[in-house]
Amino acid sequence: MIANLRRLIGWEGFLFVVLILVMIVNTGRAPAYLSLSNQINLFQLSIEKIIVALVMTFVIVNGEIDLSVASVMGLAACLIAVLFESGVPMPLAILAALIAGVCCGAFNGLWVAYVGLPSLAVTLAGMIGYRGVARILIEDRSIGGFPSWFTALGQQPLLGPFPLSLILFATLFVLALVILQFSGVGRLIYVIGNNAAVARYSGIDTPRLKLGVFVASGLIAAMAGVLLAARLGAVRGNTAEGFELDIITMVLLGGVSIFGGVGNLVGVGLAILVVLNLRNGMSLLNVTGNVQTGVIGMLLILSVLLPNLTQMARERLQRRTAQRKEVQIETETPVSS
Amino acid sequence: MLAIRRNLLISISIIALLLAACGAPQTQTPTAAPAPTSAPAPTSAPAPTSAPGGAVVSATPGLNIDMILLPKFLGIAVFDQANEGAQEAHAELRNPGKLIFTGPTAENSVAGQIETLTNAATQGVKAVMLSNNAGDQIAAAAQAAQTAGVTVVTWDSPIPSAQGETVFVAQVDFNETGRVMADMALSILGSEGGEFAILSASPDAANQNAWIAAMKEALKEPKYANLKLVDTVYGNDQSEESYKQALALVDKHPNLKLIMAPTTVGIAAAAKAMTDEGLCDKVKVSGLGLPAEMVSYTLSGCAPQFALWSFKDLGYLTYHLTYLIASGALKGVEGERFTAGRMGAYTIEKDPTRPKGLRVLMGPFTVYTAENINK
Repeated sequence: MIANLRRLIGWEGFLFVVLILVMIVNTGRAPAYLSLSNQINLFQLSIEKIIVALVMTFVIVNGEIDLSVASVMGLAACLIAVLFESGVPMPLAILAALIAGVCCGAFNGLWVAYVGLPSLAVTLAGMIGYRGVARILIEDRSIGGFPSWFTALGQQPLLGPFPLSLILFATLFVLALVILQFSGVGRLIYVIGNNAAVARYSGIDTPRLKLGVFVASGLIAAMAGVLLAARLGAVRGNTAEGFELDIITMVLLGGVSIFGGVGNLVGVGLAILVVLNLRNGMSLLNVTGNVQTGVIGMLLILSVLLPNLTQMARERLQRRTAQRKEVQIETETPVSS
Repeated sequence: MLAIRRNLLISISIIALLLAACGAPQTQTPTAAPAPTSAPAPTSAPAPTSAPGGAVVSATPGLNIDMILLPKFLGIAVFDQANEGAQEAHAELRNPGKLIFTGPTAENSVAGQIETLTNAATQGVKAVMLSNNAGDQIAAAAQAAQTAGVTVVTWDSPIPSAQGETVFVAQVDFNETGRVMADMALSILGSEGGEFAILSASPDAANQNAWIAAMKEALKEPKYANLKLVDTVYGNDQSEESYKQALALVDKHPNLKLIMAPTTVGIAAAAKAMTDEGLCDKVKVSGLGLPAEMVSYTLSGCAPQFALWSFKDLGYLTYHLTYLIASGALKGVEGERFTAGRMGAYTIEKDPTRPKGLRVLMGPFTVYTAENINK
């Protein structure tokens, strides 16, 4: 337990150092980096992804994965667009989109939690299926012309210099942090992620909790999709396509184990900051998209390999000391007898 | 220990998966004539090439204007050619500022273009030249950039609603495509004419169909009276299929003298088929093609002429227009006239394909022959 804790602090410490380094380089190389408007843009450009990354942390800590989030985002965005176009008032359309998100999440969750299918397969199907529905809804068109209050919410500052989505992210981050790290439910999510069988035999209602996590994932993804539609002001069938990879990348980089049970939101928060600041800095320095992808990819490799390698090294070391002790005991026994 | 090793293996495969997805092969390589993504719908009215009256504005060299040339994504030859043209204009106008050629990956195209446009304002860049791949989803970011004082000019592919964009530089007019193909056919077959066939992409490719329709329209004129279009076949922009279709055309029509392929895949496949079968003396090939792919066939006389708009010129013209607008010499309103260096005078006009849009129509095609293909 203590070793685990030390490892986590180590990883977060590493992320923190990387973040500071990135910030120093950015400040030195790109004069506009520190400006308030750039700091807000930096979040705003990826705000929907980082909102979903929060709930993805729950899913992965719980020992599952949700590949369908980006498709749910796209579906929610297309749904409000299509409904709005056919004359439904915007608030109702938003409500419908959120309900659709809950349904998608519940569908994923039922198969995973109550039927016991692997979430990788179920949500992969969801990823393709929900995207398919979105494309059927909107066909090959682009729908825009939303009411100005709606696009203003996505694009204009709401409170001081902060837009709605950024305020939502900050609120959700605190909320998620409290639930996952400091509440009983959070503890259960970790227990299930660590060992689902043990959790079940301890009388935890594992399926219900898993279902709840997937429903939350669907709801938050749909909300992010609505925010994306408001920010872009127009929606196409491929809106948010491919976002799931960026989202999962940030969570894994945050030190969350893909096998569940390990990691926390502080790490994910730091990982989000590292990725956003790195991207922003590279973009301000006009580094091309190819190189940006490469750099983020390298970081991901580090994030998954380093903890595993250090653990392997540590276990080997422990075994060697254990062997040495055994040898000592063997040599000591004759003396004692 | 074993478990850890297994975990490590799984981790590695997951990374590999994620990375593979990040760097997935670009499926969007231009198949049909380099993605005329703007799809300027066919217009019946001839494009007005010069507006009456109004002074022709020309650029004052040496102004310091930082610019970004933003293609749909990187790694596509024609966008590199556009950059060459823009760099040429940049040097010619002795702009002490920077001309940055940067773009997203194909998978991240929409978000990446929005990011670059948003950060352009932060960086203090004066102008962005955009080949839009995000539809109207980029309009909000483009408008925000304009509000922050960035000139946004589109080229190759416009913003459909025209919101956030000052002017669109259109490569060619669809009517002209038809006429250019008719002219090439006439020039290859001569005044005695003869039979020719069209090898197109897929039966429902909107741009090719519009070009073929425009060509048929042009063929009604008396000077093309001896050109006889006998067949239209489709190779679906697959090399193999186009190759077979080209040979099938020769078998089916013994008097065939020319295959006209308005697609870069089709023209190259047809030229290869005729060359392989030693049919070049009998059947010529023409259409829309990439010079790099066609050079040997053009020099051998198998494809004596083919056409394409020059992406280099497109970049050059876009740069001139953007420089003029960003420096305040042009306002970017309908009817303004300007000179674009070596390319001569152009006019900002209403875009017939977009109700609120303005365009500068580049044209004409570059017709490639043995004389100019290596230039």
